[in-house]
Amino acid sequence: METLNRRELLKISGFAGALAALSVCQAENALTPAAAASVTPAHNPSPVAQIDDEDWLIHQTLRRITFGPRIEEIERAKEIGLDNFIDEQLAPKTIDDTEMGSYLSDIESIFMSPEELLEIEQRGQPVRELIQTTLLRAIHSKRQLYELMVDFWSNHFNLYVRKSFVGLLKIIDDRDVIRPHALGNFHDILSGSAHSPAMLVYLDNAQSNQRHPNENYARELLELHTLGVSGGYTHKDVEEVARALTGWSVTNPRDDKPGYFQYRSRLHDNGEKTILGQTFPAGQGIEDGEQLLEMLAEHPSTAQYISEKLVRRFVSDDPPVSLVSQAAETFNSTSGNIQKVMSTILHSEEFRASLGSKFKRPYEYTVSALRVTGAQTSVERSPGSFLTQMGQPLFNWAPPNGFPDNADAWSTTNGMLARWNYALSVSFNATRDTELNWDDLINSTNSTSDVISTLSNRLLGAPLSDDSHQVVLEFANKLNPDIKIQAIGALLIASPQFQYR
Amino acid sequence: MTKTITRREFLTLGAALPIVAAAPNNLSSWLPRLTVFSPLGVETPGDILVLIFQRGAMDGLSAVIPFTESEYYNQRPTLAIPEPKMGDDLTSIDLDGSFGLHPALRSLKDIWDDGGLAVVHACGSPDPTHSHFDAMDYMERGTPGEKSLTSGWLARHLKTAAWENGSPFRAVGIGSMLPSSLRGPVPALALQSITDFHLGGRIRNHALVDFQAALSGLYQTAPTDEIISTISEINNLSTAADLTFNATGMLESAIQGEYQPSSGALYPESSFGQAMLQVAQLIKADLGLEIAAVDIGGWDTHVNQGSTEGQFADLLTDLAGGISALYQDLGDLNKRVTIITMSEFGRRLSENGNAGSDHGHGNVMFVLGGGVNGGKVYTDWPGLSSDELYGPGDLDITTDFRDVLGEIVQKRLLNDSLEEIFPGYTNFKTMGIVKSV
Repeated sequence: METLNRRELLKISGFAGALAALSVCQAENALTPAAAASVTPAHNPSPVAQIDDEDWLIHQTLRRITFGPRIEEIERAKEIGLDNFIDEQLAPKTIDDTEMGSYLSDIESIFMSPEELLEIEQRGQPVRELIQTTLLRAIHSKRQLYELMVDFWSNHFNLYVRKSFVGLLKIIDDRDVIRPHALGNFHDILSGSAHSPAMLVYLDNAQSNQRHPNENYARELLELHTLGVSGGYTHKDVEEVARALTGWSVTNPRDDKPGYFQYRSRLHDNGEKTILGQTFPAGQGIEDGEQLLEMLAEHPSTAQYISEKLVRRFVSDDPPVSLVSQAAETFNSTSGNIQKVMSTILHSEEFRASLGSKFKRPYEYTVSALRVTGAQTSVERSPGSFLTQMGQPLFNWAPPNGFPDNADAWSTTNGMLARWNYALSVSFNATRDTELNWDDLINSTNSTSDVISTLSNRLLGAPLSDDSHQVVLEFANKLNPDIKIQAIGALLIASPQFQYR
Repeated sequence: MTKTITRREFLTLGAALPIVAAAPNNLSSWLPRLTVFSPLGVETPGDILVLIFQRGAMDGLSAVIPFTESEYYNQRPTLAIPEPKMGDDLTSIDLDGSFGLHPALRSLKDIWDDGGLAVVHACGSPDPTHSHFDAMDYMERGTPGEKSLTSGWLARHLKTAAWENGSPFRAVGIGSMLPSSLRGPVPALALQSITDFHLGGRIRNHALVDFQAALSGLYQTAPTDEIISTISEINNLSTAADLTFNATGMLESAIQGEYQPSSGALYPESSFGQAMLQVAQLIKADLGLEIAAVDIGGWDTHVNQGSTEGQFADLLTDLAGGISALYQDLGDLNKRVTIITMSEFGRRLSENGNAGSDHGHGNVMFVLGGGVNGGKVYTDWPGLSSDELYGPGDLDITTDFRDVLGEIVQKRLLNDSLEEIFPGYTNFKTMGIVKSV
């Protein structure tokens, strides 16, 4: 049946309710009059089709909540059921990930204290090792959703490693702020970030004082970290927040214990402040800031803003309004329990209806190619260098808003070309640090057409359309046998289908 | 909704391109499958526009110094640039007795003397926001205070221009991402490096040609695929893919060997300097370029901004180095080129406690080129005394940035559709910054 594909069938039969909730443009696309007219057979699908549907759903869900599913993960989801698999991923500590340690055994700096980091002679080493660690975890960790959340918060509390000592302090921020709270409580991660030496240096609060409060962190705290730009604050609020946070600083490189949070009471403005209509009495000292963070974490605008951002990340560039309010409701009723908010999002009908439609960012794209093919990599150069060409060098985004999270930002000519070159590189083992063995994925005695089907099922989680299959087959038939499989693989990794999750 | 081009628009666009029946001999054999643009015969009567966006909010008061204002010196004990003093290289460079250039902009003074540089002061976007991201967004959309229109002002200019130009190089953003000003109905190219802008790897020759053809085929058949058939921006992706194939093909035949700038022009090694070099290369290759957008970041100088030397001075050195190298390199071609600099807002008059400056309002724009009525500071100066400042103590805006852009669009880019490019703005004032083409 050509007019109605499996995905649409699923939506119409199982998730009709979700369609009503979707934003208008998606609903228009998904449920055309032609599709609606041929709904009838879907009520009585053959058993085979049902298995396929379940398969499809598992593959596409895992493509969204992992960096690209490995076969073991697909099998695990089949074994325990999709909803249970999601819940398991939402409770990362229940997943045994001890193997991960062996991949990181050569890396030292990510476990160091600030004073140890400051003593490293090669200044670039910690950041280099952090990027390496981040990629290795994305590739190998079994706690896939958790690593995606780490990426989410690394962008939300963006740090730019080339500014001053931020590169060294980012190691601490990643280890002690982002990772412990990535699926924890929002107030904890917010407070961690506000006390984080890296953040205080990056957004200049470390130098703020009562005579001249620096507004940089204050403004981004409201605009980017909590309320959102239309969250209902004024310029006066920004000034008052800056005053409340005066004295929140970092110990000096010359101190005994350099690079730690330090509250300098002499630099604090101890006068009365009014923030978002609430009075902060004079003489509160560091409590001004602590109270402020609590107030911001509990503010309804924060719930709304964080929920919308999570839905944009995990569901759609155009976050469905209905789902954002559900997520915000969970946020409010659980006092910012991120795990619960994510559960609301990932178990929603809107989430299912959106599968396959989110454009991969370069980080997800590069890692997914390695995961679904089972490529081995030491990540010494690649894929880090390709990420730079694609526009997403990790931890190197200078402004505080983090890398963009919409398809338009990434689907540029330069971005596409860099992706295609990466596809060729990884498929043909062109870099010394990465090795992909295609023979592990296919039975080489099979026909070319079967090879294409097997690889598209593995890489894309679904077969290609007849037209697309034909394009790949014609190409493959022209090739020398010794490069055929690599070239098919490269083509699939470069394909438009592989750009989405 | 992020979708910016419908399938029908995309098809129309494709149809507007001159389709060649057979590929010219110098192009690869896979090209007949694709729509190929031939730059020959395209008349783009207006200037090429080079738009430089200074991300992070440049401190206009330290770039072009109002050195007769005592408040400037009162409010900026450590940041202020001294008033001009003959023989002293670390003072402002006098422009007109009231304003001076930062000494790090010395190379722009030659262009000023040549009549090729105009300065617009107390200029910017009237929206009161002090958020970088909102301010940039508003400026690049060309609609301050209004977010309903998702396309950029440059994209709307290209759409309403009276001529057709199907070149993939019609509008180019230098970098891996496109600036918001170029988002919209006319596809634009993002290009980081001309020398790296090609498909390559371990397969070569015929296999690579076949690979490219198959890839192009997949981007055409993708909409038949169930995985992505409902994705709204899939046409954008196909367009980007098409543009990429066309652009790599054209570059291959148009540009060979290492680029040699003319007249000994020396581009800074910085990413901005190298971006400007790419612009020169594209202009000289005659590929149908109309708009080049270049970013230069790092202007958010809250701490240790510096005065005649330091962080801010280094940024200006880079800016001026890139601009003057391009100007020198282009020589006679400057007659057909206009360069504009802009930034989301300026910085507060009084310095902060960290020898830096906080977010402000009014700022400076530079306009350069052969068609500029240069050697003049265009401003209705609002003054710097406390009752003349804007909001929390910022330089006020007396010239809307759309006045500057609008005049250039009309007189140099030859497009009169200002009501579509800057919808909602009716009070255009023409200051005579540029000559008519």
